[in-house]
Amino acid sequence: MLFNILGVTCGYGASPVLKDASVQINSQDFVGIVGPNGSGKSTLLRTISRVLKPIHGKVLLDEEDIYQISAAEVARKMAVVNQEQGLNFPFTVKDVVMMGRIPHLKRFARESPKDFEVVARAMDLTDTVILANRQVTELSGGEKQRVLLARALAQQPQILLLDEPTSYLDLNYQIEIMELMVRMRRDCGLTIITVLHDLNLASRFCDYLLVIKKGYIHAVGTPHQVITAHMIKDVYGCEVRVECPDSIERPYIVFNGETKRATEGGERWVHVVGGGGSGVQLFRNLLNGGWQVSTGVVNIGDSDWQEACRLGIKVIEAPPFCNVGANEAALNKEMMQKAEFIILAGIPFGTGNIRNLESVLEEAERGAPVIVVDNIDINKRDYTGGKAALLYKNLLQSGAQIVNNEWEAIQLMEGSAVNAI
Amino acid sequence: MIHNNVLKRASTFILLLVVLLASAILGIGIGAISIPPSETVRILFSHIPGINNFLTAGWQPEYATIIITMRFPRVVLAALVGAGLALAGAVFQGLFRNPMADPYVIGVSSGAALGAVSNILLQSIVNIPMHYGIPAFAFIFAVMTILLVYNLARVGGKAPVMNLILAGVAVSSVISALVSMCMFFSGNQLHQVVFWLMGGFSGRGIDYVYMFIPYGVVGTTIIFIYARELNAMLLGEEPAQHLGVEVERVKRRLLIAAALLTGACVAVSGMIGFVGLIIPHIVRMIFGPDHRTLLPAVALIGASFLLIADVLARVIIAPGELPVGIVTALVGGPFFIYLLRRQKSDMF
Repeated sequence: MLFNILGVTCGYGASPVLKDASVQINSQDFVGIVGPNGSGKSTLLRTISRVLKPIHGKVLLDEEDIYQISAAEVARKMAVVNQEQGLNFPFTVKDVVMMGRIPHLKRFARESPKDFEVVARAMDLTDTVILANRQVTELSGGEKQRVLLARALAQQPQILLLDEPTSYLDLNYQIEIMELMVRMRRDCGLTIITVLHDLNLASRFCDYLLVIKKGYIHAVGTPHQVITAHMIKDVYGCEVRVECPDSIERPYIVFNGETKRATEGGERWVHVVGGGGSGVQLFRNLLNGGWQVSTGVVNIGDSDWQEACRLGIKVIEAPPFCNVGANEAALNKEMMQKAEFIILAGIPFGTGNIRNLESVLEEAERGAPVIVVDNIDINKRDYTGGKAALLYKNLLQSGAQIVNNEWEAIQLMEGSAVNAI
Repeated sequence: MIHNNVLKRASTFILLLVVLLASAILGIGIGAISIPPSETVRILFSHIPGINNFLTAGWQPEYATIIITMRFPRVVLAALVGAGLALAGAVFQGLFRNPMADPYVIGVSSGAALGAVSNILLQSIVNIPMHYGIPAFAFIFAVMTILLVYNLARVGGKAPVMNLILAGVAVSSVISALVSMCMFFSGNQLHQVVFWLMGGFSGRGIDYVYMFIPYGVVGTTIIFIYARELNAMLLGEEPAQHLGVEVERVKRRLLIAAALLTGACVAVSGMIGFVGLIIPHIVRMIFGPDHRTLLPAVALIGASFLLIADVLARVIIAPGELPVGIVTALVGGPFFIYLLRRQKSDMF
């Protein structure tokens, strides 16, 4: 066992931030520390990096209490990459990376060719060679982060501690840095302990995850064991979906936002005449706004049909690639008459669905509350040779409400409720 | 490439050394009685054992007296104080990662001043002349001040830089008030107090050099030992700790070392401002922040700077003499502003 954290309680002043934490970390483990802001992740990292002495408990590195041995001895075994900081003096990049050799150099000793070799290799691995003669003060956040990582590698440590190493990096460098870590672990036998903000990144790359919640270690285990919707609800207090295709892939988190299902819909009912994807966003917005939603007539397999099925919305469907038949049209009108509002989305009309337009026109002329989303010129979405355009023109004059987009439609409906009260 | 750098560094330092020696010879020659450089060199060489056999004493004997008893000690002292103040400034700036840090900010200079001023008052009250009283008091007060500041700044075994600077500023302002109070009550000693506060080397003999040397050597040695640690500490205290630097221990030792140097400087020459602030800055602009190069360069350039300032102090209103503190501020300040404007980048 490389690292043994025994009942560590630590913090600042009188109140401990981290309470009674015990973890064992083996050589060549890749451990991610995750948890919400202020949960004590960084405090744990500072304690095991010999900066913040614990109030109780011990941190053993190779069976030795790190607070009993010299900083230099610890630095030869363990390197730390803090969040980008402290590079405010015009050292060149290669000077800063060379500082990684400090724990290995005797007082007044000059850097040997071996030191230059180690530094060159560290810079090569972190893609910082081209920055070598630049001043660190001129670098971007991501470049600084890579320079700090190069410096840590130049220490030739057995253990690498990192505090959110990816937080300043572009996506490509985030993955690159994590992959570099995986490679270093394999090729150089490094043990890696890193605080990570991004749970998906942590799940993807770490062998073990340490979840901290309010100063206590909440869970320890493999990503499969730890990353669950239940844990995230518990620790972060938000609803997510965790997807894990199989036991080889790592679990990943999908934010399903606050989208409600049709079954959770409210009292008020709106019927959407859409199709071809025009309803996808509208359905969600309506459901989230507390509406019961139905839709029709759409062909089976149409993207609105798929979305309606996914969300559990009542849908009047027609067979694939078929015209809307009389039966479906009747069912559709039935729905329209039950609904409080009818929304006609800005869809294209062809011979297949012109019947939908006819149904809406009839309802509008009957005095039903029809809202027409008139966001695209009808002539550009008329594939019936003028027939649809004519119907549409009548519709606009039938007393239906005309709006410019879906949001205005929702506003209009909500406003009418206020008026009704 | 490495070899090249070493050569370049060596030649730079040789150049700095030559500048220092040249200004020393100039400093010894210039004054109310002007002595040609060749004579100066010959007289100086005649006092080095082994070489004096090869020289024939062709110079005027009064020149030798002036040089050996007056000018030489003064020039050496000016160089030592210049190097000392500049080194102390470099250490404070590096340690605090703050371009405005210098012996004044941390309160050490004020402490030393209070020591000296209270000694002058004490002398007039008890009416006992104490030749070494002023330096001794100045020195003791300087070290006491740094200990006070350090302990005030300490929280749970650590003295964070921000706390140190705040404690320094607070202590410094209290001490300045005490100095003013001393001046207010100093009566007919006021002139002496003010003259001492303005700083200078007039009338300082070789005994002041001897007085300075032990503290100077100890302080400088400690500072040079920790040059690499100072580099690491520029990255911040935690990163330095992670590179194996025992931060608190190094910081404590460096503070004491810088206080020793400052105390010794103030003790022998009074309050000479700007050297500790400007010289490290200028040198950093030229040589970069690496303390292994920076510190020796700071010492050499600081020495030359104060030496030349002292020469100016002697010639500007000759045969009268300005306090050198005025010259350093008048010459150094504008030059400093010029450099900052020209760089236009960060303060560091």
